Amino acid sequence: MGSGRVVLLAIAAGVLLLARCTKDDPAPGSGCDLTGIPYNPTPYTILKPDHFPQVPVPAGNPQTAEGVQLGRRLFYDPILSGDSTMSCSSCHLPQGSFTDNKAVSKGIDGIEGRRSAMSLLNIAYATNGLFWDGRAAALEDQALLPVEDPIEMHATWTQVVGRLRNHSEYPELFRKAFGISNCSQITKELAARALAQFERILISSGTSKFDLFTNGDAEFEDEELRGKLMFFDEGQNASPALPDAQCFHCHGGITLTGNNYFNNGLDSVGALSEFVDIGRGEVTKNPSDYGKFRAPTLRNIALTAPYMHDGRFATLEEVMAQYNDNGFGVSNEDIFVQQIGFPVTVGSTVHYSGLTAQQTKDVIAFLHTLTDTTFVNNPDIQDPFQ
Amino acid sequence: MLTNGVRCFCLYQTFLPTLNMKHRIVLFLLAALLPFAACKDEDPVTNTNNFTLTFRALYDGMPLEKYTNYSFGDKQVLYDKFNTFISNISLIKDGQEVLLSDIEWVNFTPDSAPDDRAVEVSFKYSVPDGDYTGLKLGYGVRADLNAKKPSDYPVGHPLYLETEYWPGWSSYIFTKVQGKVDLDGDNTPETSIFYHCGSDAVYNEATMNRTIRVAGDAALVVEFDLKKLFTFNGQLLDLTVPSNQVTSHDASNIALGQKVMDNFKNATILQ
Repeated sequence: MGSGRVVLLAIAAGVLLLARCTKDDPAPGSGCDLTGIPYNPTPYTILKPDHFPQVPVPAGNPQTAEGVQLGRRLFYDPILSGDSTMSCSSCHLPQGSFTDNKAVSKGIDGIEGRRSAMSLLNIAYATNGLFWDGRAAALEDQALLPVEDPIEMHATWTQVVGRLRNHSEYPELFRKAFGISNCSQITKELAARALAQFERILISSGTSKFDLFTNGDAEFEDEELRGKLMFFDEGQNASPALPDAQCFHCHGGITLTGNNYFNNGLDSVGALSEFVDIGRGEVTKNPSDYGKFRAPTLRNIALTAPYMHDGRFATLEEVMAQYNDNGFGVSNEDIFVQQIGFPVTVGSTVHYSGLTAQQTKDVIAFLHTLTDTTFVNNPDIQDPFQ
Repeated sequence: MLTNGVRCFCLYQTFLPTLNMKHRIVLFLLAALLPFAACKDEDPVTNTNNFTLTFRALYDGMPLEKYTNYSFGDKQVLYDKFNTFISNISLIKDGQEVLLSDIEWVNFTPDSAPDDRAVEVSFKYSVPDGDYTGLKLGYGVRADLNAKKPSDYPVGHPLYLETEYWPGWSSYIFTKVQGKVDLDGDNTPETSIFYHCGSDAVYNEATMNRTIRVAGDAALVVEFDLKKLFTFNGQLLDLTVPSNQVTSHDASNIALGQKVMDNFKNATILQ
């Protein structure tokens, strides 16, 4: 081999190495120095309606304007997926109250997941576990999981972090958000913290008809009011005309979810182990938790069809029809599923009537008052790339 | 005292140049006497220690388990939820109440439990040494705290819990006990029972007498027995009567809720 060839080979090898470094791998060595970029994080106060509780923010991840901006960008950027075609927002779109309006979502390989994308509205208040089964304790933990899920974004964090470190803009954004001094300090944990900061600002605007009514700034139509009385069982002496729909036991509180886990009577099984999807039981390993799922918020429920963890119901009417059947009596079924409607006593046994067609319409009319279009149209939470 | 002394010395230094000799002597004598005066007023040294208060749920003297059939007279019952607020937790000493906590939420059946056993719930307080003669508990949420709602409380406060507040009553749900009873005799509880008790009228307090010595780290276990909670004057609540199976959501019809809350003191055992 002549000396000219050796030189050419060395140059080629060098070029190849550089080419690799600008793709997915974490930058070797010192990476890039970011200390010339000012780090002056601006504290960010999460806006919330006055009648909402304070938004929980973990001490280890204080909200900053820069962190929220970075998180918003990451949320909408397909850079987080294996083939750069899918972002968090592919399954969590603002117009669907941060769902994708599909029964189950498909990942980058076209494989369908087994559960429906949950709404992220008021997710900051979900401090009793995330996902349908509660397998992530906090938003910072949750944000790490879809990236490496083979049926979701199917990437590796090593791959994604490499892209972020070598990106033309992200190192500066990470510097401004977290004060890192070098590209090599970009980590998946920082990316997850930024995503969590963005997700924490996804709070109701307080302008739904329900909120306006609650604050005395709007009046309900008759059917909406009847629906509310049945939803919260506020009808005095629960009469046949206004029976208890029992909704608020699982969908109570100002966010209309307690973020607790229930078997809400969807399936008839002979044994708890027969549930197709054991839900919360996958996390706790407790058979009594088989078939339980986290109750989703009912705020913006009219925008988040289809419904249930597997998207089995296309409409709210189908959901209500299911509940009107009062469950199947499975041993860990929530007791309130069996008590929807007006109680009819036969001897010592009480049966519940379910709701009439009109009462069902009334409850659905109330559910529509929970729609918050100001939230879904909020410019601060839209795709920054558009 | 040391801090006070240092502070006095600084003042002395600051104003010294402005004083004549007579005033300086008076000031010196006052300064010299100050430590003795301070020592005279000082409280006797009292140590404080960690005091651990643990709540435990029982059924008929045995640790409670969710979804487990228990005999209730000639019926079988099971429970899947039991939680309660306790206000004004105090130790009694010399007839005085030493407040440990304004409010705690005791949740025996959290979603995160790895199995069906009711969890023990413990709280730690800093308590002065001494011999106490009893423990006072307020069953429910005392009125001034119950007058507010979750959005009035900071994150992490027991009363921040949205799920334990019911706007229909303008009240927290003081206690939730839920389960099922077997009425058809097939040994499979099928009929829902629930007791959600709230509103100011059902709040009550009780003092349990017991010598509690706090010297070094100390602990006390408080048990609530569900069978006792539903035993009134020696008689089990008749669960074949539909109106005894559930508490009403009607704020003007709290009779059963009142009965249950009033009975909490009889279901409380100090270990």
